[in-house]
Amino acid sequence: MSVLASGGFWAFVGVVAGIYTILTLGLQVQFGFAGLLNFGQVGFMALGAYTMAILVVKEGWSMWLAAPLGVAAAAVGGALLGLPTLRLRADYFAIVTIAFSEIIRYVATNETSLTGGSQGTIALGSVGTASQYNGAWTTFQTHVQHKLGFSSADATMLVIVWTVALVLLALTWVALRTPWGRVLRAVRDDEDAAASLGKNVFAYKLQALALGAALAGVAGLFYAWEFSFFSPDDFEPLLTFFAWMILLLGGLGRVWAVPVGAGVFGFIFAGTRFLNFPPFTWVASDERAYIRLIIIGLIILVLVVLRPQGLLGNRREMVLE
Amino acid sequence: MTSILELEDVVRTYGAVRAVDGTTFSVEQHSVTGLIGPNGAGKSTLFATIAGSLKPTSGRIVFAGKRIDRKPAHRVARAGVVRTYQGARVLTRMSVLENLLLGTKGHPGERLTGTVFRPRASRDFERRTRVRAADLLSLVGLEAHAHAYAGTLSGGQRKLLDLARVLMLEPSLVLLDEPMAGVAPALRGELLQHILAMRRDRGITFLIVEHDLDFVMQAADRVVVMNEGRVLAVGTPADVRANEDVVDAYLGAAR
Repeated sequence: MSVLASGGFWAFVGVVAGIYTILTLGLQVQFGFAGLLNFGQVGFMALGAYTMAILVVKEGWSMWLAAPLGVAAAAVGGALLGLPTLRLRADYFAIVTIAFSEIIRYVATNETSLTGGSQGTIALGSVGTASQYNGAWTTFQTHVQHKLGFSSADATMLVIVWTVALVLLALTWVALRTPWGRVLRAVRDDEDAAASLGKNVFAYKLQALALGAALAGVAGLFYAWEFSFFSPDDFEPLLTFFAWMILLLGGLGRVWAVPVGAGVFGFIFAGTRFLNFPPFTWVASDERAYIRLIIIGLIILVLVVLRPQGLLGNRREMVLE
Repeated sequence: MTSILELEDVVRTYGAVRAVDGTTFSVEQHSVTGLIGPNGAGKSTLFATIAGSLKPTSGRIVFAGKRIDRKPAHRVARAGVVRTYQGARVLTRMSVLENLLLGTKGHPGERLTGTVFRPRASRDFERRTRVRAADLLSLVGLEAHAHAYAGTLSGGQRKLLDLARVLMLEPSLVLLDEPMAGVAPALRGELLQHILAMRRDRGITFLIVEHDLDFVMQAADRVVVMNEGRVLAVGTPADVRANEDVVDAYLGAAR
């Protein structure tokens, strides 16, 4: 427990919360502001991470060029997914998105020559070569660490991730306050009314989908850098649903609810590791991990009943008809 | 008189059902034209077809000399044909003012690229839009509610907001879908005066679907009667009232 309770551990929890913040911010743009029920967010995260890693290891590109291309790949993926599907009804669209993210994962698992297959990024390079995509990142992180005078790499990553997350949060907050964001909310609340006011509903949905996907791509990059290795198993649909939990915890339609939700989620998720006292010790420690999910599920259940708008949501906006 | 809208043999089917079955009529410029008919006559389908939210199965719809029957709804609206919905579809979770600010054409700030690369043009446009919105708010007497959620307005106030929002778009032809439904009697006269003033001061043409026949006879200078997807009669309110077929269609079995 003392190891788990160390600063390094909590810095790691903070880094993961930061990555989740960026991932969930994408969902907030898509669902909270444009009404798109996207259950495939993790697929865009995978697109970002894999594009970056493949370009660096297989094509020998600079990571600084490959990273923005990873984000672009996620955005293009969002747009391509949206073109044929955004005209579907919300529930059908939701099913297509979850299928999309599973397709991405299965392709990553089976296209071994492209992605390294189920072995993950370790198998990206040719046999016998060390295939690292994050050399340039480690150099950068060490550089930042020296500048900051930090002793821990975890704390440095924490600062970097949250700096980026805060910049993205602020940019999104500003964008949604423009007339563009106003139209987006109109599309969310009543597509027909928006169209009758001359708004190209499809174009706005497509933009929201692509932007949210790009944010997932950024989250994918940080995920890749933080763990130095990833495989298709890292992009299971569960991750998308974690992001949805964060969204509901924080509240819909509020940009700053996302980091709050991610912080609370991260704290509960990590904190429930310390449940090594009765009655939790009655179940085996490996099964205890599931208790965390049960607890988070219960919290969301209680929240939905007592505070359906989330921690920072606006209740009045939920009940107006 | 020149016509602003011409429907030529417009058909719209849902599977085997011909909801609009070869409708032909025209709407004169600056007129208030009433569109009446019993339930299921095809009025709502026809409205949606004119507004572009439904594509006609066949036939032509010409607005101000240009075909609009293949355009999507937002392009029809931008061309100057703006519709309202039954029960005034105001955006309840947005403020009254925000509802009005949505009624713009060519706002650079409504494009993501415009917001980013043309911030000054976007700000200027937004400022002008706000001035227009404030004028229209006071025209319909909702200025005190500018910052309230539109969802807090009464049914009649929502109709007024809807009308003001339509005016923001500077349309040439407005399609009103049951403007009097759910409006308190006290507000009906006011709504009618607004419609007549909008025609007089802004040269707007109206096509109105309405079940309240007293209102139609009072407001309209021409009435189109539909039944079973076809035009049954066209004429002045007095002509239509005297038409045997119309009386049959409305009273049908009762006679």
